[in-house]
Amino acid sequence: MMKMLLRGAAFAALLAGAGDLKAQTLKMWGPEQITEPLIAELWKGIKADFEAANPGVKVEFIPPTGTISNGAVQAALQSDAGPDVVLTNSGIGRVTVVKNAKLVAPLTAQYENRGWKAKIYPWLYTELNGQFGGEIYEVPDGLDALGVWYHKDMFAQKGWAIPKTWQDFVTLMKKIDAAGVQPLAIGPRTTGSAGHLFGNLLQSASGTGAVGKAVGGKLSWTDPTMVTGAVRLRELVDTGLIKKEMAGLDLEGASRLWFTKRAAMFVAGPWFTANARKAGYDLANAGYAPMPSDLAGESKPTGGVGWSWLLPANSKQPELALKWIDFMLSDAVMKKRAQHAASTMIYPRELPGIEPPTPVLKDIFAAAAQGVGYNPSVYLPGSVLDTYFQVIQGLISAQITGEQGMAEIQAKMAAAQ
Amino acid sequence: MNMAKTESMVGAGRGNAARPLAGRSREDILVGADGAGSALFLMAPALAVYAVFTLFPIAVTFWLSFTDSNGFNTDAGFVGLENYRKAAADPILWQSLWQTLLWLVYHVVLAGGLGLGLALAIARLRRSQVFFRTAFFLPHLVSLAVVGVIWANIYDPFFGLLNTSLAAIGLGGWTQGWLSDPSLVLFSVNVASSWQGFGLYMLLFIAGLQDIDPSLYDAAEVDGASAFQKLVYVTLPGLREVMTFVMSLAMINGLKGFATVFVMTNGGPFYQSELITTYIYRLAFQSQDHGLAAVLCILLSVLAITITVVFNKWRARLRR
Amino acid sequence: MTMHKREWPTVVALAPVLLLVLAPFAWLIVSSLKSEIEIGQADPLSLPANLMWRNYQDAWQIGGFSELIGNSFLNLAGVVALTLLTCTPAGYALSKIRFPGREWLFYAFILGLTIPIQAIVIPLYEVLTALGLVNSLSGIVLAQVSNGIPFGIFLMRSFFTNVPDELVEAAKVDGATHLQILTKVFLPISTPAVQALIIISALSTWNDFFLPLVVLISPQVQTLPLGLVRFAGTYSSEYRLVFSGTVISFLPIILLYILTQRRFTEGLTQGAIKG
Repeated sequence: MMKMLLRGAAFAALLAGAGDLKAQTLKMWGPEQITEPLIAELWKGIKADFEAANPGVKVEFIPPTGTISNGAVQAALQSDAGPDVVLTNSGIGRVTVVKNAKLVAPLTAQYENRGWKAKIYPWLYTELNGQFGGEIYEVPDGLDALGVWYHKDMFAQKGWAIPKTWQDFVTLMKKIDAAGVQPLAIGPRTTGSAGHLFGNLLQSASGTGAVGKAVGGKLSWTDPTMVTGAVRLRELVDTGLIKKEMAGLDLEGASRLWFTKRAAMFVAGPWFTANARKAGYDLANAGYAPMPSDLAGESKPTGGVGWSWLLPANSKQPELALKWIDFMLSDAVMKKRAQHAASTMIYPRELPGIEPPTPVLKDIFAAAAQGVGYNPSVYLPGSVLDTYFQVIQGLISAQITGEQGMAEIQAKMAAAQ
Repeated sequence: MNMAKTESMVGAGRGNAARPLAGRSREDILVGADGAGSALFLMAPALAVYAVFTLFPIAVTFWLSFTDSNGFNTDAGFVGLENYRKAAADPILWQSLWQTLLWLVYHVVLAGGLGLGLALAIARLRRSQVFFRTAFFLPHLVSLAVVGVIWANIYDPFFGLLNTSLAAIGLGGWTQGWLSDPSLVLFSVNVASSWQGFGLYMLLFIAGLQDIDPSLYDAAEVDGASAFQKLVYVTLPGLREVMTFVMSLAMINGLKGFATVFVMTNGGPFYQSELITTYIYRLAFQSQDHGLAAVLCILLSVLAITITVVFNKWRARLRR
Repeated sequence: MTMHKREWPTVVALAPVLLLVLAPFAWLIVSSLKSEIEIGQADPLSLPANLMWRNYQDAWQIGGFSELIGNSFLNLAGVVALTLLTCTPAGYALSKIRFPGREWLFYAFILGLTIPIQAIVIPLYEVLTALGLVNSLSGIVLAQVSNGIPFGIFLMRSFFTNVPDELVEAAKVDGATHLQILTKVFLPISTPAVQALIIISALSTWNDFFLPLVVLISPQVQTLPLGLVRFAGTYSSEYRLVFSGTVISFLPIILLYILTQRRFTEGLTQGAIKG
């Protein structure tokens, strides 16, 4: 009750003294894992720099309760007490959800006016520009590059290596299984994590071109060229190379298998370094390689926009929010983040001369330099996503065949068109 | 009481306002000169809160189910029965409805059954009753969301208490993917939920048992009844009232099941543990399909009202 | 009753059941004192080499549990107080005052008894937004009170109905108003019902997850169950923190219960069954 009165009073004060710059607060949704000491250190530094550059402004972090996928961002945006600027997991599917609910404001004009266009990779701009008929609702903060993580010591000791072809990869998994180690861990209860593995498998089997067409609705998911990846996943489950029990795990439960070396491989992106650090895993031992593929040039990471800045439609500080995004895109901040020990991602433009602080990140950046394919989780329309993730769970729990799963996804794709 | 009679009584009350109270009948006094006014005054706080936060939302839910509302800020258009048609054709809806009913049955049997069994055992105890009653009630104090966190770890196939214990005592063959096996997941989550729920039912049953006239047992003893006969002919009939109360409570609690599923499986894998409530949350707060979600809301309400009416009828019949 | 001749066979039979029912607690508490490496060994029967009390310190600090516990108790106190304030007079009016539309009002309240909160959450959220009550404890308190009003009124009305009308009449003769009758005559004799109402509304508030999940966005206003789920989600790579955090989240209420258990049990069952 007190709060309500206070809020009323604050509102009245706002009406009376509009434009009073003395006590401005910018509420930012994010960053994830702000309670982790390393990440907190980095962001407190950024916040202090911004506050120093903008006297009278205070930045306040709202530790995220979730993402767009589980509705947390929408709930926050709908509330009156919501954030003024948002940093969250993005991709066209997720952005569509908040865009359709009119919860976020278009930023297209800012790309020209504020020079953002020049601050991200040209291919990235083209891609964003094509998603909503020319309107852009997000500013990319980081890119993802998903591939296979493995333990260097374990692989060296056993003489294992990530091979070049799918057949050899299956052989390797069998060898690992015979050695009493789980070949590959996956936690599909965390939907995004389910998508990381599945996207890798789809691209390995069908190639970037086909997956790109399929997520755009230009190729049926039931097309023979597309189905193979799903069939392969089900085969891995049926042969016990991926344990059915994993259908009940989340990302953390599955990554625990990998961190404790009960599992040999894991599909993840550069952000996995943060999880590893928290679990006390020695990152110098982490190896990374793209998923093997029989198709020439298709053994490369999948990915896309991982995290973006969004401007809530009801932001109380829209000008300040844009200023904040300017600041985040500046050379100083981006370099600071890229060199910091808490750095966990690929930045949206080239940062020449910057060495990532963690060794495995170098491997990831090198793999991504040759191009990154599509992670369907971030490219599929929002209305298809839920089915897409459930289908992966269905495959890993051996409830449906690859063909059935793809037919389910295609049915939703058709409805979304 | 019918409306007309009420009106006339109020009229009479007003007319009699000036007469001394001592000379009035009971009816007159209960109506009182200040009857309607006092009633309104005393009901105002409850009415105000309830009207704004419950009655109005109920009405709006109905309206929403006929619109294509897909977000809080959009102006929704009237689409007639379209959402109902969509709902009828949605296989996940039917699956979640069926699973909700199954969930209810599991909860009544597991939580109700354990509560009743323990109550029968504990009510016989004198010295150790308080100890057992208190100890068995402990799980009920853990909130369901926390129960979800605990049991998700118990069920973890590789690190969890259940599978590792089974393996440790030589029952490795019994280990399961408790949350991944499609035929098991709903039951597994329900066990967690019922673990939290049975304590309340147990306490209610104990209270019911203590209300049974002890002389009935003495009479049965005199007639030479066995322990089993006493249970069937004295105890269970004596518990009928409490039983219907607990049953309806368990069903309503079961219907509201949300937190454990949301935390442990979020409806998966592949919708195998989806309930109406989790599906509502998915539609309303993740896919922003408020029209379809509203149809589910109405379905949920109809289900709840049906259960309540049926049980009240049953209860009334038992009383006769 | 002639049933208490020998207790020990029942006690012996109950012991293993109790062990099973309480095993999760034991496992959780033991695990919460292990190091991350010991937890990773997945041996449920092993004991920690060193008791890692640090886990509790860390979880307490990182998880902001003092704030969460404070919020939960604030939430609980608000709901209990407002529930009593709304349901007692309304229950009295519905049982002891005759006025037009009484039956209809009672039915309207009973309707709410059957409708789960999930079924009205979309417009409820809109109402809270319109009143600026989203993301605030006051908002959640009002919604929870409203959700509990049907049961509260039902309980109080049933209790008051059993109080003889003569008490009202006598007080009326003495010139008392209904409010005076309620506070001076009825409240002193309705301890069982009030106790039951307090306990039941406190328990359901303590337990609530759905409304906080939807309404409470910032960690500063979140309640314990929601805060713990968020904490467990963010920190699940560190199971020692998840386990100790979980223990922290139920320890206060369990201690409170053990201290007040006799009162608690009586209040709960008397009001609910005999009310």
